[in-house]
Amino acid sequence: MLQIRNLHVSIDGQKILRGIDLDVQPGTVHAVMGPNGSGKSTLASVLAGRDGYEIEEGSVTYNGQDLLDMDPEIRAREGVFLAFQYPVEVPGVTTMYFMREAVNAVRKHRGEEELSAGEFLKLARQKIGPLGMDADMLKRAINEGFSGGEKKRSEIFQMAMLEPKLAVLDETDSGLDIDALKIVADGVNSLRSADRSFVVITHYQRLLNYIVPDYVHVLSDGKIELSGDKTLALELESRGYGWINDDVVPQAVAGV
Amino acid sequence: MPAIADRADIYLERFNDALARSADEPTWLLERRKRAMERFLQLGVPSLKHEEYKYTDLSGLADGQLLFATRPAGAEAALPSYAAGSASDRATAAGPQVLGRVPQGARVQSLAGALRAEPDLVQRHLAAIADYEDHALCAVNTAFFADAVVIQAERGAVLEEPIQLVFGDGPRDSLPRVLIVAGRNSSVQVVETYAGSGAYWRNAVTEIYAEENARVDHYRAQVESLDAYHTGRLQASQQRDSFVSSFSISFGAAVARNDIGTRLNGSGCECSLDGLYAVRGDQLVDHHTSIDHAMPHCNSHQLYKGVLDDRAKGVFNGKIFVRTDAQKTDAVQSNKNLLLSDQSEVNTKPQLEIDANDVRCTHGATIGQLDSEAAFYLQSRGIGADRARNLLTYAFAADALERIRVAWLKEHFESLLLDRFASQEP
Repeated sequence: MLQIRNLHVSIDGQKILRGIDLDVQPGTVHAVMGPNGSGKSTLASVLAGRDGYEIEEGSVTYNGQDLLDMDPEIRAREGVFLAFQYPVEVPGVTTMYFMREAVNAVRKHRGEEELSAGEFLKLARQKIGPLGMDADMLKRAINEGFSGGEKKRSEIFQMAMLEPKLAVLDETDSGLDIDALKIVADGVNSLRSADRSFVVITHYQRLLNYIVPDYVHVLSDGKIELSGDKTLALELESRGYGWINDDVVPQAVAGV
Repeated sequence: MPAIADRADIYLERFNDALARSADEPTWLLERRKRAMERFLQLGVPSLKHEEYKYTDLSGLADGQLLFATRPAGAEAALPSYAAGSASDRATAAGPQVLGRVPQGARVQSLAGALRAEPDLVQRHLAAIADYEDHALCAVNTAFFADAVVIQAERGAVLEEPIQLVFGDGPRDSLPRVLIVAGRNSSVQVVETYAGSGAYWRNAVTEIYAEENARVDHYRAQVESLDAYHTGRLQASQQRDSFVSSFSISFGAAVARNDIGTRLNGSGCECSLDGLYAVRGDQLVDHHTSIDHAMPHCNSHQLYKGVLDDRAKGVFNGKIFVRTDAQKTDAVQSNKNLLLSDQSEVNTKPQLEIDANDVRCTHGATIGQLDSEAAFYLQSRGIGADRARNLLTYAFAADALERIRVAWLKEHFESLLLDRFASQEP
């Protein structure tokens, strides 16, 4: 589904990613962990198509297409979703209006019928309930005045509405209390399926107790230093990130 | 001076006609009109050299032709839908421009009617609140207005429905004159709409007198012809514990200049002066506001937002005076502008004169482009780049409309903004 090859990225002349390689197969969950400044969010931004990043080398192929060549909206319509680390407040546009437009843009792109206002509302109610949010949220301006937890749940709601093929979650767990974390994780888990993949970027192992990954990658200084299964995350939890750049290769990883 | 002396013939000529027509007005009013004319002849139509008009070229008004030109017969302005529907009421309503039903507890009268019924009240307030000694445009209106609309809210009356005034292409609509007197503990809402066709100059003056603990919500919806000049003055005088709000919508006219002010004469007053302007092409829109904090414990808020495209120009000047006695004043002023093109521009200037020492006054002005992070957010959900920009532009502008309490008015301008910035089809 997604192949990242030798990806080098800089911002304002400063190198951030220094040769990322990553393969994501359909139906898998990849966790990308790493200390602050390791390039996690840059990776997420580049996948979603945010401006301001210089691709110096390498390629990203998504379902056989050059992802980096697509505008952000085309990526979204093709099924790429980014849950923002810092969801943006947009006063004056209601979530209802926004999501209906987004859902219909995606549906149109897929050659499906656009949803009427009634159909949209029915679907939205269905998706929003399990996230512990009131449907009244739809009438509020996008993220305006939302608490940190509400903003993250709103991201998951949007993901559920858009039904992406590849969802990139950028530190969706940061700042969440344990209850909110469980709700978010349940939301993600309910979307897991054989043809949908996730790249879960996180600073903390805690989230991975609830969203159990198939693979864990450790990003450090712009490169994936280690890859392993879910036990790698536990290792990181107990030992911190400090040992990663040491030459010692831990047992847990050796077999991967 | 010389400029006006050379070109003022038409004003002088018309003034004599106007006086003849006003012959049965009381002496005090005639005196005020004569004094206003005298001041106008001295002041002249303000030129770009005048500090208060340095960005706003009104030279097209100097010869008076646009004000007095006879409007083509049968021309009917494209009125906003909320006003057009009740056009048939116009003949039967109290004044020529009053639409709809006058709510209970209110009186809406023509000048002649008000002079008969409430001569003292009219004398106390008409042409007594909006200064014409140093305000040439107000002086022109005061000298020449043919009729006035006098709105009174009775003491204690809470008027749920707004009173609606519409100024279109009618022969008396060029010089709208409105006096609003809100009695003690009353609450009144007034919506003034200005719409016309062709080239003309509309020069409007509204005076508000808010008695103790009264509330006045005033809306001016300016959707003039794009060939018109619109100059407007709103001046309020607030007594103790009163509340006055003004919302100025400015979408139309080639050149629009609004002077909106209030004087807080008693303690515990509050006012909010807000507005939204959305202009394009070669339009110019200028708002000058003035809040005079004369007494302690008063609050004032101001939020003006503007969206400018093409070569349009915006001007905002916000004056706040805090007099020596006005301790504990809380004044907030904000002017936010969105420029959609390289050639659009805004000149914004806060002007605070503070003579008291225990006050809080804040002001801020922004002139910017669309928030690229927000645009990316919308795009990342599948919304096209142009559409995202349009939606954000709509959102920026519509946000200001949240301060409008009259639902149908707010909805009308929301949908106008939607059509302009966010319609699905190009």
